[in-house]
Amino acid sequence: MMNSDDWLLRVEDLSVHFRTPRGVVQAVDHVSFEVKPKETLALVGETGCGKSVTARSIMKLVPEPPGEYASGAVLLRNLKTGAVTDMLSAPMDQVRATRGDRIAMIFQDPGKALNPSLTIGRQLAEVFGEHRAAMLLTQAGIDPEKGPIGSGSIASQRAGVLRRNFFHLTRRGHSRAIRAAVDDAVMSALSDTGIPNPRKVMSSYPHELSGGMKQRVMIAQALACDPDLLIADEPTTALDVTIQARILDLINDMQQRRGTAILYITHDLSLVRQFADRLAVMYAGRIVESGPALEVLKSPQHPYTQGLLAAIPRAGTPRGKLAAIAGSVPQLIDPPAQCHFSSRCTWCAEACTSHIPKLIHMPGDRDVACLRFEQADSIGVDPSDMPSHVASAEVVS
Amino acid sequence: MSVAVEHPNIGPSAASGSGDVMTLHDVKVHYPVKEGVLQRVTGAVRAVDGVDLSIRRGQTLGLVGESGCGKTTLGRVIAGLVPATGGDIWFDLDDSSKLLMERLRAIPKDSMSREDKALWSQLESNHRLGSMSRERQRIYRRNCQFVFQDAFASLNPRQLVRDIVGRPLRVYHEASGNDLDLKVINLLERVGLGPQHLLRYPHQFSGGQRQRISIARALALNPEFVVLDEPTSALDVSVQAQILNLLVELQEDLGLTYLFITHDLGVVQHMSDYLAVMYLGKIAEIGPTEDVFSNPLHPYTKVLRDSNPSLEGDDLDGSAHLRLTGTVPNPIDPPQGCRLHPRCPVSQPECGWQVDDMFQSLETSTPASFETITRVERSGPFAAQLVMTDDAAARHLHEEITSSRSPFGRAVETITLDGANVSIRLREVEEIPLIPVAPGRMSSCLLAGRPGGINPPSESR
Repeated sequence: MMNSDDWLLRVEDLSVHFRTPRGVVQAVDHVSFEVKPKETLALVGETGCGKSVTARSIMKLVPEPPGEYASGAVLLRNLKTGAVTDMLSAPMDQVRATRGDRIAMIFQDPGKALNPSLTIGRQLAEVFGEHRAAMLLTQAGIDPEKGPIGSGSIASQRAGVLRRNFFHLTRRGHSRAIRAAVDDAVMSALSDTGIPNPRKVMSSYPHELSGGMKQRVMIAQALACDPDLLIADEPTTALDVTIQARILDLINDMQQRRGTAILYITHDLSLVRQFADRLAVMYAGRIVESGPALEVLKSPQHPYTQGLLAAIPRAGTPRGKLAAIAGSVPQLIDPPAQCHFSSRCTWCAEACTSHIPKLIHMPGDRDVACLRFEQADSIGVDPSDMPSHVASAEVVS
Repeated sequence: MSVAVEHPNIGPSAASGSGDVMTLHDVKVHYPVKEGVLQRVTGAVRAVDGVDLSIRRGQTLGLVGESGCGKTTLGRVIAGLVPATGGDIWFDLDDSSKLLMERLRAIPKDSMSREDKALWSQLESNHRLGSMSRERQRIYRRNCQFVFQDAFASLNPRQLVRDIVGRPLRVYHEASGNDLDLKVINLLERVGLGPQHLLRYPHQFSGGQRQRISIARALALNPEFVVLDEPTSALDVSVQAQILNLLVELQEDLGLTYLFITHDLGVVQHMSDYLAVMYLGKIAEIGPTEDVFSNPLHPYTKVLRDSNPSLEGDDLDGSAHLRLTGTVPNPIDPPQGCRLHPRCPVSQPECGWQVDDMFQSLETSTPASFETITRVERSGPFAAQLVMTDDAAARHLHEEITSSRSPFGRAVETITLDGANVSIRLREVEEIPLIPVAPGRMSSCLLAGRPGGINPPSESR
């Protein structure tokens, strides 16, 4: 999995800790995965498993303090030049230039993610002002290399500010041309997401729009700069099922047209089947299983994945006979060095409470972190302490 | 119109016999909208707008719908937490008194005979919410309990579990002192907790455990009917499975009747015997759960089913799926006729198109001619006179509407052109009622009873 050169994002050994008065919360614990260009990777897990923190770490959005990047790197590869940036160690201005341009993010609750005091048009214009100022100037018929705006002053945060600056620095005609260019760019971004009346939406405030419409605006904002990677953090959890279906259709459609890679964060395994190429299941801060989505859903190997799939009610399950996973998620404050699932696992054995299982590579591009797939001698444990063994050859068949 | 559906007897029948736990007839909950300095009432949010429903003893009725459709309000009305602004809610009608109620209801009040009047008032004081005697009211309150969606918000953070779960027992003078503690421990053990949890506060529990405490509190007075308002939507899948199993186990042991309110179709399919689908304050379809899922008789049900992502199945071909367009209309001024028609993929001319719908469809389909309308004079929801900017624009609009092949275009009865004025009259449609279309099944879609059913034309031919 880590060998091929065809990757866009590579998260290596990422650990994110939060310092709290009660101890260090190991929210993300040595997580590694990669996203290939144009593919959809779904990161699935229950509340508190660290999936959102992982997603935010990629954008370096975890607040420090209390957060802390304890180890690892988030490598982003420029597909054209092949240059690799580490988001965690790169200087802040470079991180800012990457956010929204090459990596974009859709948040769970569009009502909270949009600024309530700016019109939709202004908010979307910010993206262009931040990342596409030169393009706007060219469209407005101004040479971005020349003129009073020059190099650095383009980095005004809002297109609104941009506009005002131009008003002072250039002639009125320029100002009007820039305004038209900004509006055109915003309009086309909005109508791309199937918003029926973009001109009306541009002049409205977020509270005037419905949930589905706000999420469309978020998608328009995220995809405005044609990012290589889109991080969708539970984009439809706050929406109704009929709206969810339409938003997912839209994301899917945009991906087909633009070839964006998507990192899809969700707690809903049933969404994964429709959308993801690959699937990574997280539990208590670690990835416990990953592989091609359909394969993992068809024959889950990790006891947690198996339990999660069995717990979903579906037609044909006798009533009252859902296979629930006993117990609840363990506390992640200074956790012991063991398999975090061991307290809820039916196969749990002596070795499970003393060893952290590593991701074991298996045929069919799959990885599982469970001692049932480990050889007793390779981790130096007495075979009688190991859980019942499963040969990796059995997985593929 | 009679609401009694012939329910086949499925599910556990409680010792107290069969019959309805709750019977609803044309129940309405309208919240007034107040405006201005004087707080004048200018309209009403029609949260629940004419619901007929009966909940059979020992069964689970699932109630699904999207946010804002009124399902929670309906649950609250049934549990007596919100007063109904119209219609009747009957509690604990056995089959004979239900027949009596239906017979008497059909007779106008002033032409009732003396005996019938006496029977009616007796029936009301025994069974009708709002007219019940104090004694019956007490019985109703005990027997109808509620589990709320957000277990954290519905448990008092300053009370111990002992006080939370024991409170109903204390209020009804069922137990006190040591006896109370023992009863509470019993209840906690029923829901999978133990005596060690007695002296803890709600914040010390996980989400699943809190929901267990809520359930224990609801069961404290040994009710026969529990309204479950999204009891698992705040929980993770693995914990949700635990709670669902617990609810089924309790139902089997105690012979409970559930009203299960949820937006999750997978859960409702798993849990309920009967399913009612709600849209914008009205029931769109009701029937046995399996039948509703395998053969929906309302386009909205079909859209919901198709939109629900599933782990297995053949839905890889996304093109055949029905999707709704637009957004949920304002419940202050809901569409006439069928509530769904402006968004419906298979809408017909007789679905109740009105002037407001016309504007909406003009605004999205032909914004150019929409912008040439300068003034509108309405004469009722189905007729209006439009004043256009000039004669050419009026001709253009006239042409556009008459040539339109959309259901809305075909709903136009008369359209006359007079200079820059266009008068338009659309087909007038009454409310479309929920009618029986198959044994045990009711739908409020015009197409449900027709050959070809609710499928889009291309599919049925």
